[in-house]
Amino acid sequence: MRLRARHDGVLLRPLAGRGGAPLRLPAGRGGPRLTLVRQVLGSRPRLLWALAGWSVVEALPMAALGIVLAHAIDDGFAAGEPVTGLLWLGALGAAWVVGAVGARQVVVTIAGLVEPFREALLSRVVAGVLHRADGDTAALARTNLQVELARDALAAVITVLRSFVFSLAGVIIGLAALVPELVVLILPPVVAGLALFAASLPALARRHRAFLLADEATAESVTAMAAGLRDVSAAGAEERIGDQVVARVDAQARAGTRLAGLTGARTLTLAVGGWLPVVIVLASAPSLGAGPGVVLGALTYVTQSLVPALSNLFEGLGANGVRLGVSLGRVLESAPVPPPRSVLEGGRSGGARLRGVRFAYGPHAEPVLDGLDLDLAEGEHLAVVGPSGIGKSTLASLLAGLLSPDAGWVLVGGIRADLIDPVNRVLVPQEAYVFRGTLLENLMYLGCGEIMAAVRAVGAEDLVARLGGLEADVDPALLSPAERQLITLVRAYLSPARLVILDEATCHLDAAAEARAEEAFARRGGTLVVIAHRISSAVRARRVLVMDGTGVMLGTHEDLLDRSPLYADLVGHWRIA
Amino acid sequence: MRAADRLVTRTLRQAGVWTMLLALASVVTSVALLALPHLIGKAVDTPGQSLWPVLAAVTAAALVGCDALAAWASGASGARAAAWVRRRAVRHVLGVGPRLTRRFTEGDLATRIGLNAEETGRAPDSIVSGLSLLIPSAGALVLLIVIDPWLAVALAAGLVVIALILKAFLRTSTDLAAGYQEAQAELAGRFLDAIKGARTIAAAHSEEREAGRILHVLPRLRTHAMGLWRANADAAVRAGLLVPLLEIVVLCMAGFRLAAGELSVGELYAAARYVVLGTALGSAVGQLAGLARARAAAARVTELLDEPATRYGRSELPPGPGTLEIRGTDGLDLAIMGGSCVAIVGRSGSGKSRLAELAGRMADPERGTVRLDGVPLPWLSRAALRGAVGYAWERPAMLGDTVAGTIALNGRKAPVIRSAEHAGADAFVRRLPEGYDTPLARAPMSGGERQRLGLARAFAQGERLLILDDATSSLDTVTEHQVRRALSRDSRTRLIVTHRVATAAAADRVIWLEDGRVRAEGPHERLWQDPRYRAVFA
Repeated sequence: MRLRARHDGVLLRPLAGRGGAPLRLPAGRGGPRLTLVRQVLGSRPRLLWALAGWSVVEALPMAALGIVLAHAIDDGFAAGEPVTGLLWLGALGAAWVVGAVGARQVVVTIAGLVEPFREALLSRVVAGVLHRADGDTAALARTNLQVELARDALAAVITVLRSFVFSLAGVIIGLAALVPELVVLILPPVVAGLALFAASLPALARRHRAFLLADEATAESVTAMAAGLRDVSAAGAEERIGDQVVARVDAQARAGTRLAGLTGARTLTLAVGGWLPVVIVLASAPSLGAGPGVVLGALTYVTQSLVPALSNLFEGLGANGVRLGVSLGRVLESAPVPPPRSVLEGGRSGGARLRGVRFAYGPHAEPVLDGLDLDLAEGEHLAVVGPSGIGKSTLASLLAGLLSPDAGWVLVGGIRADLIDPVNRVLVPQEAYVFRGTLLENLMYLGCGEIMAAVRAVGAEDLVARLGGLEADVDPALLSPAERQLITLVRAYLSPARLVILDEATCHLDAAAEARAEEAFARRGGTLVVIAHRISSAVRARRVLVMDGTGVMLGTHEDLLDRSPLYADLVGHWRIA
Repeated sequence: MRAADRLVTRTLRQAGVWTMLLALASVVTSVALLALPHLIGKAVDTPGQSLWPVLAAVTAAALVGCDALAAWASGASGARAAAWVRRRAVRHVLGVGPRLTRRFTEGDLATRIGLNAEETGRAPDSIVSGLSLLIPSAGALVLLIVIDPWLAVALAAGLVVIALILKAFLRTSTDLAAGYQEAQAELAGRFLDAIKGARTIAAAHSEEREAGRILHVLPRLRTHAMGLWRANADAAVRAGLLVPLLEIVVLCMAGFRLAAGELSVGELYAAARYVVLGTALGSAVGQLAGLARARAAAARVTELLDEPATRYGRSELPPGPGTLEIRGTDGLDLAIMGGSCVAIVGRSGSGKSRLAELAGRMADPERGTVRLDGVPLPWLSRAALRGAVGYAWERPAMLGDTVAGTIALNGRKAPVIRSAEHAGADAFVRRLPEGYDTPLARAPMSGGERQRLGLARAFAQGERLLILDDATSSLDTVTEHQVRRALSRDSRTRLIVTHRVATAAAADRVIWLEDGRVRAEGPHERLWQDPRYRAVFA
């Protein structure tokens, strides 16, 4: 036997944590999220350069504004040369139009950066989610929305940061051309304002995050309340549920008020970074020998470029940065990088052996299975019966290697069940998976063979005819649950696996169709394990495993009728009904 | 609309001090915004004089200070006002109860309590901010005329010409959005299919193949997304060009007036700033549209508040076995002996659920009375009624924080574990990660498991009467059998809506409904003689 390592999710390799280890997300810190952003952006250096280039074009009119005004007034209108003034202003108009083209290209370039980011995230979500065979369907599907939010937030963060950097550069260059001394005078308050903002950023991010989470919690509890009005009323739980929802509402209002306080304080940093330079220009420009046009130009730089740039930075970075962090965190949480999977060759026999198997869903949970011993010879036909929720599907998952026991071991064909090549066993769960594609693609999902023979054996010929043959397209939404189950049964029948596990895979079929399908699998050869939905499945099986919570009992049908009161009860009941 | 306006007014009052503070700070900010260009212009025109720069500095300080205050007050007033509206809506909706869901869908209810209440809460901010934005923008246009009427003429002419030119470049982008949404929907659909088939995929190790199938949509999604980005960029650029070009038009006019000696450099500066401020008139009007939104939202919240709350009496129940009488309502006239088990059967739409609702006062009959141990249900206090009657449904809602919390939903002491045992839920609950203390969010449950918790809730709560409306339909045969056995040993009055023969057979008596009326009643064996009765179960 040779160990063959296989990495799934090749698509995502560039995004995985180093060494393929699952990414752990420390709450609130940026580590893996920042890495992710950097990797996606860093893989497109050409677009980054284009972005810088177009940003320069976009910043052009703002950078020219003060110089143009100074010349238009001092050399033109104030000097009695209105035509010169007009020419300068005309040039400014042209600069604005060119700048507008730049602005448009900036948006498109940023789109070119964030769309691949969205795709990378989506790929990651899809692979991560598909690798966890559990979880809340609706919640997982919502990650799609989180990805969209993350994309928009990243675009906003890039826009805001970039716009600030280039505006500031434009102001500095323009001022330096007019009155170089002013640059030296203005920079300290700007730097001080930025430092104040940077210092307040962690607190701002914390409060933003708190608000966002409180807002979502409120929306969630209100939705749950609206959906459960009947239950609340019937239980006389108006007060209790009302208290719970109102507590969320109040928490959200508190978080909102706290955030507003910091937003107010943030506006004050704008005073230092933006408005102090205005006063400095007014107070010092005339003494530096600047003419009225130059003073006006310098003022324009500060009031029309610097103040808005700072204001946008302060306003946009906090909210969007936090939104990005939270959304990315959610996405990565719901879709951890799948661990590498190892597969051993061999294990062609369908026999299975379980020894001392113990399994629980958590350290505080009662074990579902404890000390289970079970031998299944090749060719065995076993039915598992018991109330739902007792652990029948857990047993199926352990046999299929989807779960690993906490203690003991599960061998299939002599190999640990979680290491066996998937072609050697097939699990057909209750939730039939049919995808959009042709019927043939759906049937050949696990392997091919005599397709029409399999269709006839399982009893799906009417379905194939109704759908219009093997080449017909199927839309799972248009099939009934029974039809979807028939398709997955044919698929399993066609697979080369020697161990077939039907986990309530026929629950939507009527009793006759179920009998036909099960008998087909019994004739097919190999080992068959049926998690029974109806007691009739047990009557058909060679041996029956009864699970009733306190223990398991194995025997033949007749045998168990004597030994297991629960089983006798079930069979008796089934006969009456 | 008058009731909605009253709600808006009360919301304003609720935000109290914060609204006053917001108004004050906003007015000062607006005035400062308007004064600053003038003061800076004066400072430019009179170099060497320290009065104007000092005044400008003081005004700038006032501007920033009040702006900060306004930002704070706006956030705080909105948060307080929204919380007040929401609290009221939440309590009221709970007070009315499930009757509301007949008029409003669940999603609609959630939107009204959630989003609309918040929009109503933003009313103070919309009113104050809208009005205070009008001051600088309208004032700027007035001041522009005061500086030089010709500038205003140039502004008006420029506005028309530039708007016309920009409009010529307008393109529609509605198809783009549709294509984008379609691609999104397809991706989401494929993803959801695969999530539902996750166990099949995991067992076949085919995650990669499935990811490829889902992500196959990505190139199409990107094409549409880039189209949308481009359209947005075009729109933004057109909007962004308007103000600077208008400014240039006015500057040209001001330049000529400067050359003619009719205008100072400082006035030219002020004029340019006033153009920028004046063009904010549009967004000031937009802010006032926020008020219209708040009023519309208030109207939607008011519709909820107008629904009268369900009234309860003050009576307690006398000691009794749980005898139920329904008298004088259309088609229903029956008495159910205390401690008996009655099955209610009938085709869908025959009024089974209506009977179940009336029996425990989930709804009131238009005529007639329903009595429990001789007391009309509306006379009973809420606690007396809900403590006596336990309900279980086909689809119980999983509210509360933990599994134990959803069984003992009203927070009173209840025999949680014993009830769960009778409902066949104990075994699976113990196998959850934290047993009974498992948070509901961490306990993904099948329909059958949810039904069992719903049953446990009813068992834990109703002291005299249990009403089960199709509450065992998703249980497997073993569990249903166990539940039926537990029910048959129960001493409470039991009213069981069912489709299953075995359940009807196990009841003391069967009530057979048709078109909202009692078609027949009696023991199952006797009714079974009637082929039409048998057809009900087919």
